[in-house]
Amino acid sequence: MHVRFVALVVAGLGAAAAPAAHHSFSGEFDVNKPIKLEGTVTKVEWINPHAWIHIDVKRPDGTVESWAIEGGTPNTLMRRGFTKDSLKTGTEIMVDGYLARDGSRKANGRDVTFTDGRKLFMGSPPGQGGPPQ
Amino acid sequence: MRTQTLAAVAGVVVALGLASVSEAQSRAFRTPWGDPDLQGVWSNQTLTPLERPAEFAGRTHLTEAEAAEYQARLRRQINADNREPGTLRDVNTAYNDFWWDRGERILPDRRTSLIIDPPDGRIPAMTPAGRARVAAEADANRREAEFPAGPEDFDVYSRCIIRGALPRLSTGYNNNYQIVQTPGYVAILQEQIHETRLIPVDGRPHIPGTVRQWLGDSRGRWEGDTLVVETTNFTDAARASTFRGATKEMVLVERFRRVDETTIDYEFTVSDPETWVRPWTVTVPWFRPDGMLYEYACHEGNYGLANTLTAARTLEREQQQGAQPQK
Repeated sequence: MHVRFVALVVAGLGAAAAPAAHHSFSGEFDVNKPIKLEGTVTKVEWINPHAWIHIDVKRPDGTVESWAIEGGTPNTLMRRGFTKDSLKTGTEIMVDGYLARDGSRKANGRDVTFTDGRKLFMGSPPGQGGPPQ
Repeated sequence: MRTQTLAAVAGVVVALGLASVSEAQSRAFRTPWGDPDLQGVWSNQTLTPLERPAEFAGRTHLTEAEAAEYQARLRRQINADNREPGTLRDVNTAYNDFWWDRGERILPDRRTSLIIDPPDGRIPAMTPAGRARVAAEADANRREAEFPAGPEDFDVYSRCIIRGALPRLSTGYNNNYQIVQTPGYVAILQEQIHETRLIPVDGRPHIPGTVRQWLGDSRGRWEGDTLVVETTNFTDAARASTFRGATKEMVLVERFRRVDETTIDYEFTVSDPETWVRPWTVTVPWFRPDGMLYEYACHEGNYGLANTLTAARTLEREQQQGAQPQK
């Protein structure tokens, strides 16, 4: 119990120092529980403040689990050229993130990768850069 | 009204007498009814820090070579590929650049801080009461991430009430604004999180001090080509609903001046003797970004707040279960 308390205090400090995402991810996801998921896209919720990608993950025993992955703000994604239709239902993806602290089947989508290794959100031109030089 | 007209005419005469190239350019932007025209989509995004970093103490501007090095360094620092697996930074910030839109450039004038006054480019010293408020907010922020009891424990941004108290500074993304004018009003739509400031510019007084609003109460006036907006009547009714630890009595004065097709010179001064030992002033250009504003319907999918509350209840339950055998 004491160990958990110390960990939480550190978590709080981290949250205080975090930059301006819409909310503190460390309150929602567990730093001690990194998770890798591989699944098929079933739905993209194109909603503010953050988009959610839903995937079906097939377990080794053949059963299927539905997971929800939290992503970025749709407005910024749009500016990066990503729309709600960019990730089609049925696409196989790999997710690298952290498990929800409430133990439910949710994770943050720190990295989303296609099965051929391409990163979903990497390598495109930047959005607005700031005032022109 | 007649006095105002005379004053306006006198202002124009003076302005004509002092006309420079810049003023002539500024005058070129007029609405059909003759007010300075600030309309359009704008952004205040920049990598230039609010406060002057210690490494540039005593210097207001960088050389071209220094600016290039500094800008490259800032870009590296905010690069989300700086991974630190297993750390809170990794949970909170390690998203690739698609998650963020902080900007790629510092200001073209190579200033070392957005703050121009005090001359040291730093926020003035806080009063003991101001420091206490900031410390209390830091505690509340920790509670939010650990054991929020209910939605009220979250700040105004996480609750989708407002992005934060005015004035606005460049943040992680969606640093965009749209200005629309009619005779007597200036409206500023703020993309994050889609509030509109409706600013009367018809000389009416502020609302009574007993009425408090999340965005305060703004009143505008034209000083030559500059829109001057004074905002009062802020509220401290929820967490982080005031600006950087200020009280609800803070006074904000903003100045908007259109300087060319793609730029508004924007300046603000905040005063709150209960918080800072002196007022301080920021200038930052609002530039014309590519594209448009998108709606940011914050409540639409604010699952994060519910998820964080569920996480806290889960932890609470686990702790109670863990504690019971000891009884």
